[in-house]
Amino acid sequence: MTSLTVESPATGQLRGSRATPWLGILIVLAGWELAGHLLTAAFVLAAPSEVIGYLLREWQLMGRALWTTLGNAAAGFLIGNLAALLLAGVALLWPRSERIVTGLALLVFCLPLVATGPILRVFFGPGSGPQIILAALAVYYTTLIPLLVGLRAAPDSWFDLVRSYGRGRFAALIHVRAMAALPYFFTGLQIAAPAAFLGAMVGEFTGAEKGMGVLTIRALRALDVEMTWAVATVATAVAILAYVAIGSLARRVLLSDPPVILATPQSARTQRTAWWDAVLVTLLALAIWTSALWIFNLNPFFAKGPTQVFDALFIAADAAATRATLGGALSETALFLIPGYLTGLVAGAGLAIVLVLAPALSSTAMPLAIALRSVPIVTTAPLVVLLLGRGATGTITLVAIMVFFPTLVACLHGLRQTPGQVLDVFDSYAAGPVTRLIRVRIPAMLPAFFAAARMAVPASVLAITVAEWLATGSGIGSLMALSASLSDYDMLWSSVVIVSALSALGYGLVGMIERRVLATYAPEQLS
Amino acid sequence: MPLTITRRSFLATGAAAAGTVALGLAPGRAQAQTAVGLQLSWLHSSQFAGSYIAKENGWWSEAGLDVSLLPGGPNAPVEPPVVAGTALVGISAADYTAAAVEQGAPFKILGVAMQKNPFVIASLPANPVNEPADLIGKRIGMALANKPVLQALCTLNNVDINGIEIVPTQYSAQPMLAGEVDCLLCWETDLPVAMTMQNVENLTMLMADHGYAVHSQTYIATEDSLANRRAELVALMAGEVRGWDAYRTDTDAAAALTLQMYPDAGLDLETQKLQAARQVPLMFSELTDANGFGWWSDDTVAANIETLALLGRDVTPDLWDRSILEEVHGA
Repeated sequence: MTSLTVESPATGQLRGSRATPWLGILIVLAGWELAGHLLTAAFVLAAPSEVIGYLLREWQLMGRALWTTLGNAAAGFLIGNLAALLLAGVALLWPRSERIVTGLALLVFCLPLVATGPILRVFFGPGSGPQIILAALAVYYTTLIPLLVGLRAAPDSWFDLVRSYGRGRFAALIHVRAMAALPYFFTGLQIAAPAAFLGAMVGEFTGAEKGMGVLTIRALRALDVEMTWAVATVATAVAILAYVAIGSLARRVLLSDPPVILATPQSARTQRTAWWDAVLVTLLALAIWTSALWIFNLNPFFAKGPTQVFDALFIAADAAATRATLGGALSETALFLIPGYLTGLVAGAGLAIVLVLAPALSSTAMPLAIALRSVPIVTTAPLVVLLLGRGATGTITLVAIMVFFPTLVACLHGLRQTPGQVLDVFDSYAAGPVTRLIRVRIPAMLPAFFAAARMAVPASVLAITVAEWLATGSGIGSLMALSASLSDYDMLWSSVVIVSALSALGYGLVGMIERRVLATYAPEQLS
Repeated sequence: MPLTITRRSFLATGAAAAGTVALGLAPGRAQAQTAVGLQLSWLHSSQFAGSYIAKENGWWSEAGLDVSLLPGGPNAPVEPPVVAGTALVGISAADYTAAAVEQGAPFKILGVAMQKNPFVIASLPANPVNEPADLIGKRIGMALANKPVLQALCTLNNVDINGIEIVPTQYSAQPMLAGEVDCLLCWETDLPVAMTMQNVENLTMLMADHGYAVHSQTYIATEDSLANRRAELVALMAGEVRGWDAYRTDTDAAAALTLQMYPDAGLDLETQKLQAARQVPLMFSELTDANGFGWWSDDTVAANIETLALLGRDVTPDLWDRSILEEVHGA
């Protein structure tokens, strides 16, 4: 496998990206302030000055809420990342299990939190259990995948060196693999930090006495625009700070910038093994599901097993009606999900290309992009819908925002991967920037683009189900919330199965397209 | 201290604990207290202030109960914790309870906190909805999930639902204030209160005044608890009755207590006072004045069964079990 880590020093930094970030932030703040004053009567937006005013008045309340949520997020962050390390260890010690481990991990990652929340609450009872576990679930996959890439991202010659000193696999793990994996691990942690905070907030929706999620609900219901935006601002600031802090820690520890490849390139196994793995993962998932219900002795009123879901979908008298309800909700969701997903991908890749052609813009665009990414979706979902309306625009925008940022970061990284020698050749033919872009840079970007596109599948499903649940009241997200409130747990579990399976399938589908495209443009990625 | 505790010594320790609280010392929880959960249907607010009064005054601990008030939330259905036993009693509503029973949950309704269903149609004075017929030609903002509720109201009042434009919205007054809709389907005690607190004059039409009879904030427990944990249920409900009777005498104090007990819930005192006052007419009626808090009659149950049928829920009077309340009220 060709390593993706190698940074090309000449193009390693995007010029200007760290020089004047303040200008962009100031422009955004000024626009926000103006809009806040223009929209006072609509109860939609609070200006930054009003937000600051609120925070000065209520800093104690906000501080306590932040402390609670941050504590749960940190615990979840720790547990989730330890789980990722453990799973990566299993995959490393027993390489054959890697596809199974990642397959199961993907499936669990795709479980919709609208449905897992109440189940965790019943399981843990009162307290912080669901908050911590939802935070852990939100982070472990995005750490596991880069970690697996990193553990293999060392040249063969290094392993030869370890062997020539007569040392074994353990020494190779410590001296080569761990070192090679560290940058990837940091990348995972960086993405995980805002996700953990979001998970902890959503956990509070399952019943909590305090925290940022509690304040969010309170503020939205009370038409308290200042409080709503103050919570969103604080949550965003925390997420950005965590992102930046881990980034700077990584820069101190590491010699090169953290890489941004977020997922394993598809290995070139035969189609048949891939299918076999998928079957094995499905069977294992069913076995784990059944035995978990049995071991924890969960009440069958709300804990449904595979046979009950099968029964509800195919055998029961109202199976056809259940399928029709599910199908209807899924198609409502798909109608907004797919355009939002594609818009986010195109916008992310497009902006990356623009930034490479006009690096001066990045000082404005990058802080804004990081901020957009870091706003917890539970606060953004209602706000975006408030601002853009309940129709297609609001929901599609929300999904696009979730997809846009990881795509942008990955594509920027990919564009910088362009081999210098190839560019030299094009220089010698006096090729212009556009020609170089189309012939060299974009093909070099494709592996990173597809890695982001695959990871964006579960992220966009999360975005749309949360938006439907909290704001628009349509589609599968709303159906799951409604099923839980009406105790229709057959419907709820059926939705969970279908949403998870479809997310995993979507991930696989993007992987298939990836293999086709890379076979043409970047065959070395598939070797 | 002997390991076996008689009921008398049990009560004595409880009283001692209550005495310590009265002296302003740390509430010394008696060892013999039975821990039970009361699952609330939403985040802490004055919606549940009667329970807070009971807890704060030690009315449960006197009776040997250590009651945890478990907060709800947007993703916290009430029924599973009650089925699983995490909570002895849950605060549900007749329609949700009926749905759960249909799915096999063995629930009974033990008491009815909200005699009148809190659903209203909220509107602005310039374009008011004073009676169901006014809905014709209006745009109503609501969750699509509540369409059966609107349908039931229309059927009860001979209004053609097709004459109403339903706009799916999030649960907020904002769409009406932005002019996207003319009225909202919401609770008497939340969005209208929020509008009033923001100095937006508004009107509400209580659906319960137009035939929509669905008991709300109902206490539910499993048949198993009713058979095997009667003493705890009686003690829990006795505390509730006492707490809500105290609530009624001074709702402002109840709101203040809510903020004092849950300072992290982000509550505003004036909002809580208004909310506390506005739920009184929903909770107390001639029926409860005559028979005590939480009561219901055969007539109100019959009306409930009729409205629930319109919502697609077929229930029988068996769903309601008054034996606990009868014991509490000494009937």
